[in-house]
Parts: sequence; structure tokens; C-alpha cells
Amino acid sequence: MPPQPSRRRRKPPEMNRTMLVAALLTAALPAAVAVAQGAGPVVGDPAKGRNKTQMCSGCHGIDGWRTAYPEVYTVPKLGNQHEAYLLKALQEYKNGERTHPSMRAIAASLSDQDMADLAAYYAQSGLKTAGK
Amino acid sequence: MRANRLLIAAAVALSCGATEAGAADIAAGQAKAAEVCETCHGAGGNSTSQDFPKLGGQYPDYLAKALRDYKSGDRKNPIMAGFAKTLSKQDIDNLAAYYAAQPAAVSFKH
Repeated sequence: MPPQPSRRRRKPPEMNRTMLVAALLTAALPAAVAVAQGAGPVVGDPAKGRNKTQMCSGCHGIDGWRTAYPEVYTVPKLGNQHEAYLLKALQEYKNGERTHPSMRAIAASLSDQDMADLAAYYAQSGLKTAGK
Repeated sequence: MRANRLLIAAAVALSCGATEAGAADIAAGQAKAAEVCETCHGAGGNSTSQDFPKLGGQYPDYLAKALRDYKSGDRKNPIMAGFAKTLSKQDIDNLAAYYAAQPAAVSFKH
């Protein structure tokens, strides 16, 4: 008789531990996913991005404008480009993966929110904006 | 003096040859694009995926520089490095000319 209740008593704590681990994993999952996706949910605002283009349009807003250093070539067109690509380009200039000196300097001055806003703005500008 | 003249003549001949070899061939670029680039960058470079930039109507010298930088490793992207390494200088010029000549998917206007 005594062994039975003791076995019964031993079982529940084991189950509780399993459930606790499961609960902890479930709770941690969204956070882990957020970390894996990189950074928090910074959402770009195209209207705000429009007001942050002063540093960009001197080169990217002129048809055929060329950068001269360290190599001469035409600066890319940005209007209507994919938002995710534009954001990645700015992030890569900021973290040094892309090396153009002027772009590195400019990107270094931008916050995550600035970069998201600019990417959102350029992605919906240009071809899609009629009469502009 | 004669040696100098010969040297200049050789240099001129060489640079003319280089220009001829460097002349971009849009048709060859189109064939190469269909083979290598289109799967990701879309028909005419009008990519529909956020992961891959639109190339149609982009400036040719920028496109060529991007490809050269991927090839040399100056610009780091594991996917593009693999493709760019398979491209010759002539392929790069052809592809850049082809995509620049496509209907504009991107614009300098904003």
C-alpha cells in the first residue's frame, strides 16, 4: 500500500517539470523568432522618409549623376526599387559590408527608423507616383 | 625615339582593340540573363521578389560595377558571388547593357 501513493506522488512533479519546460519553450519562441529575424519591428513610414531625403537627392535625384570617388560610375536609380533591398543596402553601408565611402558616412548618420522610412519612401516613389 | 613611337603605336592599337572587345552585345546579354539572372531578378529585370533588386532600366555602369565588385569580393553576397565568378568581363558588359535597355523598373525620380 505505501509504495502506491508514493509513486503517485512522484509522478506529478515529473509531469509538472515537463509541462514547465514546454511552457517556457512556448513562451520563448516568439522572442527567439524576433531575434532570428533581426532587430525589432521597425516599420518604415514613406511620408516621414520623404522628409529625410535631403542627403540622398543631391546624387540619387539627378539623372545620370556620377560619383567620382573612389571610382567613377553613375549612382543607382532608387525610385520604385524593392523596400527590403533598399533597407538592406543602407544597413550594409552602415555595418561596413558595403564600402562606398560617401554612402558609409551617410548611413552611419541614419537611425534604424530613418533607414526604414527612406526605404519605404523610395520603394513607393518614382514610377508609381503619377505626375512626379 | 623610334622605340617610343613604336610603344605609342602599340598602346594605341591595344586600346582600340580593347574598346572593340569591350563593346557590349545586348543580344548576348539577353541570352546570358535568361541563363543566369532571370530566375531571381525576373523577366527584363523587373523582379517581383523583395529579396532581389529590380534591374530593368538601371544605369549600365552601375550594374557593371556591382557585378565586378561581387566577382572581386569587394561587395559581399554569397549568392551573387557564386554567379559573378562565372561571368567574364564581356559577359558583365553585355548583361549591364541588356538590363539598362529594358523597360524602366526603377527611376531616378522620387
